[in-house]
Amino acid sequence: MIALRRQLPLLITMVTGLVMAGQYYVPHPASEQLLTTVTKWLQIIGGFALVLGITSLFHVHAAKIRRKEAGWGYSLMLYAGMLGTIVVGLWNGGKESIDGAMTSFGWVYSYTLVPLQGTMFAILAFFIASAAYRSFRARSREAAVLLIAAVIVMMGRVPLGEYLLPISGDLSSWILNVLNASVRRAILIGVSLGAVALSFKIIFGVERSYLGGGKE
Amino acid sequence: MTFAERMLRIDRRIIFLVIGLCTLFPLLFPVGLPIRISSEVRGVFDYIDNLPEGSVFLLSLDFDPASKPELYPQAIAILRHAFHKNVRVIAMTLWVSGTGLADSIVSQTAKEAGKENGKDYVFLGWSPGGSAVILNMGQDLYTAFPADYGGKATKGMPVLAGVQNLRDVTYAVSLGAGNPGVEAWYVFGKDKYKFELGGGCTGVMAPGLYPLLRSGQINGLIGGLRGAAEYETLIGQKGKAVAGMDAQSATHLAIIVLVAICNVFYFTMRRQQRRQERMGS
Amino acid sequence: MELSFEVMLGGWIATGLTLFILSFLYEDNPLFKLAEHLYVGVSLGYTIVKTYDTVVMTLILRPILEKGEWSLLVPVVIGTLMLTRYVPKAAWLSRYAFAFIVGVGAGLAIPRTISSFILKQIEDTVRPLLTLVPGEGVTFTYSLLNPASNLNGIIILIGVVSVLFYFFFSVEHSGPGKMVARAGIVFLMISFGAAFGYTVMARMSLLIGRLTDLIEFSDASYGRPTLWLSLLTIGTLIWLSRRSGAHPPER
Repeated sequence: MIALRRQLPLLITMVTGLVMAGQYYVPHPASEQLLTTVTKWLQIIGGFALVLGITSLFHVHAAKIRRKEAGWGYSLMLYAGMLGTIVVGLWNGGKESIDGAMTSFGWVYSYTLVPLQGTMFAILAFFIASAAYRSFRARSREAAVLLIAAVIVMMGRVPLGEYLLPISGDLSSWILNVLNASVRRAILIGVSLGAVALSFKIIFGVERSYLGGGKE
Repeated sequence: MTFAERMLRIDRRIIFLVIGLCTLFPLLFPVGLPIRISSEVRGVFDYIDNLPEGSVFLLSLDFDPASKPELYPQAIAILRHAFHKNVRVIAMTLWVSGTGLADSIVSQTAKEAGKENGKDYVFLGWSPGGSAVILNMGQDLYTAFPADYGGKATKGMPVLAGVQNLRDVTYAVSLGAGNPGVEAWYVFGKDKYKFELGGGCTGVMAPGLYPLLRSGQINGLIGGLRGAAEYETLIGQKGKAVAGMDAQSATHLAIIVLVAICNVFYFTMRRQQRRQERMGS
Repeated sequence: MELSFEVMLGGWIATGLTLFILSFLYEDNPLFKLAEHLYVGVSLGYTIVKTYDTVVMTLILRPILEKGEWSLLVPVVIGTLMLTRYVPKAAWLSRYAFAFIVGVGAGLAIPRTISSFILKQIEDTVRPLLTLVPGEGVTFTYSLLNPASNLNGIIILIGVVSVLFYFFFSVEHSGPGKMVARAGIVFLMISFGAAFGYTVMARMSLLIGRLTDLIEFSDASYGRPTLWLSLLTIGTLIWLSRRSGAHPPER
């Protein structure tokens, strides 16, 4: 049983991993057909992964409502919003517009989801301003360098800044294209090396945490 | 508590109010300062501008309403430009909650330009799988998207004549707010299928894409609202991005002033503390 | 211009929800919580509908029923196995699905990451220090404004090497190593500063976007929802804070 529950999944990972990595270097029609089929499968599995993500949220709020925990009314609101959207969505065949005309599903999307999600992220503007005021201090030489670079980029990327300090435009462009690019490149190379190492560890069964779920 | 200490512990809602007003006033009373064009944005513009009529342009609108203010104007400007150049447009999204936005952007710009769905452009809609979709499109566009957003079969559409996979795309631009976005389009798309790629992204992501720009892996980069404003200026149709640049200027200046004040108070406080310590010893 | 009833109603709803979320800036309150939960609900509902329409109908059912592509049942089975994670007794079955997805994902990523992010990036870093221009011979370009100049090429090389050195050699830096690591730190700080500047730009843009919509909805054609709903939101916030002042929450 342990072989079925533990060894076989590890074997599946190793075989699929090695085959798909090898596929990159083999431009044979059969190899290309394999890539087409597998990526098509991944596309469909991606849909199931979305369902998996949603299900956990369902459970959390259903439990809140069942136990009448503090704020369960809000969870009810969540369910009402969700069910309402599903009904309207299915009624319109899942389309926000048909031949260019907005459906009621499109209306729900444009006038609830768009402003809600947009504003949720927009309030971060206030918090970043407050954080800048409270903690953006030149406590050390390094912090001073960071601060000066930030101010130059903030000036150089808006018309008023370029008008007040004409050199800031060119300077921020140089910072972004040369200094910033070199650092991001080093980070990209470092992170990629880490990702490749992790992928190999997964393929060869050294890293197994992704298996999770259920007893041995 | 000294004045400097009190100022550093000011109620954050006062800062919120300052930022709110600095954003609101320029929107109500715009000045219209000139916008300088960067080489990054010009890279994308020039490439689209030089596309021969009828070539295949793919635009992937990989963002959702959270990044609408930055990427919506970019998408509108690019599509207006592409439709003006009479190229065949394939639009799509890899972000589920961006489908409605992408649909409205494509249909609005196509309607403005008098373009016909299925003949001049196609909106493929959304598909799950992220990078797998890019790979699958690279292998066969019709298996990845058997039907377009409206449910019409993609095979046989006049706009897709001669297009079998991503190798047949002349130019692709991903307007990405995260992953999957510009990087995924390079790694899983351009790396193997060799089409030319341009990028557009949110301000947060822009500095991270410069290494790809320098190495020529992307041929241009439109960063945030500023990038969108530059593109609007280049096509000569000023829209939401240009309108927002005055407010952007004001808020940046406000933040710089806030940071300066904070540092003045911080150094005043530090000097006072040192003086007290010296007197104490 | 006369607006249709749906557009006007939409304007009122969008304005109300925007203001409810913005009310969080004053303090956490029921209006914000209501909007926040509605956001999660609508967002979930939207994703479910799109998944049904795109995955179930377009990608699975139609190809199977209309074109007889029965091989698509394979990913359906793998996807279903993934969902067994929520059935305690059968949860181990989900391991097969994850084993497949993670294995394929790792296999696809390895060569592509090496090619795109390691080799291509190193290739562009290790560029010739001098350029051979036909007719002019060997030249060295100093322009800082041209990112591709030889001088900038050297600066990029120094930046990449020093940052990698700082990250990878986590032993105590001394002698020339200390100098390289310090250069790495300076490069890093400048890059973080630039990232901060761009983050400020991005966040402010989002606020500009929302305020632009609020200004649009303050128009008389919509019935000035921004004005009326702002008054309503502020009134509610005052009422709520007075009420919580009269009945302090139990600790």
